[in-house]
Amino acid sequence: MEALQKIAKEALASKEAAFIIGYARVPGSQKTRPFIARDEAEAGQLVFDEYCQNNLAVYLTRIARPKEGKMGIVAKSCDVRAIVALLQENQIKRNEVYIIGVNCSGVVEDPAQPLSKENLAGKCNMCQAPQPAGTDTVVGEAKPYERADDKVGKLLAQLDSLSPQERFAFWEAEFEKCVKCYACRQACPLCYCEQCIADKSQPRWIESSASVRGNFAWNMIRAFHLAGRCIGCGECSRACPADIPLMLLNRKMGMIAMKEFNYRHGSNMDDPTLVGSYNNSDRNDFIM
Amino acid sequence: MANENFEPKITCFVCNWCTYTGADLAGTSRLKQQPNARLIRVPCTGRIDPVFLIKAFETGADGVLVSGCHPADCHYNTGNYHARRRWIFFRELLNTVGIPESRVHFSWVSASEGKKWVDVVNGVIDKVRQEGPFEGYKKINNEFALPEEVEV
Amino acid sequence: MNYYITTDEKLRELVRTLAEQKWNIISADKQGTRFMYINDGKDLTVDAKARPTKVSAKQFVFPKSEPLFFFKKEHDDLKLIDPQAVQQKTVLFGAKPCDAAGLPIMEKLFNWDYKDEFFNKRVENTVVIGMACDYTDEYCFCTSVGLAPDSEKGSDVFLVPGADNHYVVKEVTPKGAAFIAEFKAIFSEAAQGDIKAVSRTQPAPEKKFNVDEVKNWLDGHFESEYWSKAGETCLGCAQCAFVCPVCHCFDIVDENCAADCGRRVKNWDACQFGLFTKHASGHNPRETQPDRYRQRVSHKFKYYQDKFGETLCTGCGRCSRNCAVGIDIAEIVANIPM
Repeated sequence: MEALQKIAKEALASKEAAFIIGYARVPGSQKTRPFIARDEAEAGQLVFDEYCQNNLAVYLTRIARPKEGKMGIVAKSCDVRAIVALLQENQIKRNEVYIIGVNCSGVVEDPAQPLSKENLAGKCNMCQAPQPAGTDTVVGEAKPYERADDKVGKLLAQLDSLSPQERFAFWEAEFEKCVKCYACRQACPLCYCEQCIADKSQPRWIESSASVRGNFAWNMIRAFHLAGRCIGCGECSRACPADIPLMLLNRKMGMIAMKEFNYRHGSNMDDPTLVGSYNNSDRNDFIM
Repeated sequence: MANENFEPKITCFVCNWCTYTGADLAGTSRLKQQPNARLIRVPCTGRIDPVFLIKAFETGADGVLVSGCHPADCHYNTGNYHARRRWIFFRELLNTVGIPESRVHFSWVSASEGKKWVDVVNGVIDKVRQEGPFEGYKKINNEFALPEEVEV
Repeated sequence: MNYYITTDEKLRELVRTLAEQKWNIISADKQGTRFMYINDGKDLTVDAKARPTKVSAKQFVFPKSEPLFFFKKEHDDLKLIDPQAVQQKTVLFGAKPCDAAGLPIMEKLFNWDYKDEFFNKRVENTVVIGMACDYTDEYCFCTSVGLAPDSEKGSDVFLVPGADNHYVVKEVTPKGAAFIAEFKAIFSEAAQGDIKAVSRTQPAPEKKFNVDEVKNWLDGHFESEYWSKAGETCLGCAQCAFVCPVCHCFDIVDENCAADCGRRVKNWDACQFGLFTKHASGHNPRETQPDRYRQRVSHKFKYYQDKFGETLCTGCGRCSRNCAVGIDIAEIVANIPM
């Protein structure tokens, strides 16, 4: 914690970074939330521990770019993946960000409870490298943690074993709950379009009504726009006030990317994006 | 499931340069095909946004066919390669939400393949007829049905 | 005011009776996500100790999407078709005081210059069975906005948990009295002292701020520096407005039904969206997220006060509890540098 604050203070003092996007403690609680430190005093409030669930990379495309200095960001390895994904997609340049990597030992699912095998965020289950790579500096140490049941994977396997009609009925019940608040979009580090297709009205492809049909269109298209891009941080599911298991769709797309192309988005900033590129030898067997 | 009396609606998205021309050739060659397909001509398969397919189901399609130039034949060189990569994801996504492969079909039909076009279209129509009406989408489309009319 | 007694089992029986008579029956779901229609007594959730549902009950009087009318092209003419009239009798079970109070607060807006017949009809047809609340967490602040865990505002019938799965039932409004009279078998008459309400196990939420002082400060601090920091981390998702029991902004759009017909729909909208205030010219008077956050706070604690003399907030804490970035409206209001 002190090491993190020290690095943040130095980065602000030397004007390397104009601000640091990090986590601060919610007063009177162990919970944390995103916090933007703009001076050394504020940098003293930065923390990092297992209660830091948020993927802060989302702010890189939301916050006003500084005129001078870089955008500083505290990033655990999954956040780094999102940052690399943004670099791959040319949304930011490497010299625009100052990345303070933090070694992570897993974060909680429910911030009201301490970290345990049962209370481990879904994304940490799937985490392949708790140590962030390619950052400007790294603090803290990563302790191994016990993985929990892969609930999303299990549910997805269950879903796959159903008939198409049953799957449709499952999603009909889930999407009926959607209130079209677009929290899934806003919380997503890779949903950065200046004008989302859902907000386009000429023509209106996705109905703005929160009808089941409009909700189907919205959630399918969002999942598709993240195909081969989702880095699996789970922020959409966490932000959803209707508890729709959005990660099922994102995970499925991730599995296809792995199976068909052996590709994981956000792994290497020099890789071309998956759906932005092609290969002559791509699978052709489903096309008549 | 087979329903002899059911006539499916099939929406076809075809590229201007190959499949549309191929379908045209089928017509000028007086080849017969079943009349259940509605063609929508787009410049290139690369232009086909998956949202088009969703819109097709929203407007009552029971099945969808997407067709364009063979690999290496694209008028714009690479449009169909980009499209193919998208389809690999999209058909899995549709399948996951309960829109099975039997309702979403893909083909490559060149400008000279009038006969292939007829075979493909007839095949797709038969398959979807076998599958029956798309009850799932029809149900959620119902929300948009006009209410029983009360004059204002 | 008359008092009655009922039990958990009898309420479930009531659900069965109502279902037979084709009432719409609304109850919280078992997961605590939202309110939903039920048809079976076993699905009834009346739990004073439960956390408020993630999404409030407002959508049953103010649906997330409501067709206003349909239109159909006929030759050169356009034919207008009314949606089916709202006439279904509805009962809302187990509304917490912070849910039930939302109805009379929204009623003022929907009856201000134009009387919204959809809203009014739904409210008129709905019997609200409120329930004293025995839940408190760090996000609750009903006591700060003039409510309490036992406020009857907005309820027609009010349940107070008693010993052994019993409820003390109060009739609050004539509508509630008529409902109780209609289902006499469920509610047995009692004198006020006949059965003791169990005392709360949770302390009432602490009072976090004074709405009058907040209003006074808001009156003169539109341009305050405070806002830039307060809304800085807001991502501009509008879950706060969509889960809120009193946020009532809506947008009206036309949608296609088929090639020759369409419908005009009233959809929820929210001030946290950038598009909410964007002009056709491209100019946006609320350019940044802090501007939008200021609007949210000001509407709740100033503008609605100015116009209707009420605070547009019931202190349920849903917006803060669900916020993905931990913004707590009570904390922001309480921390105003007054």
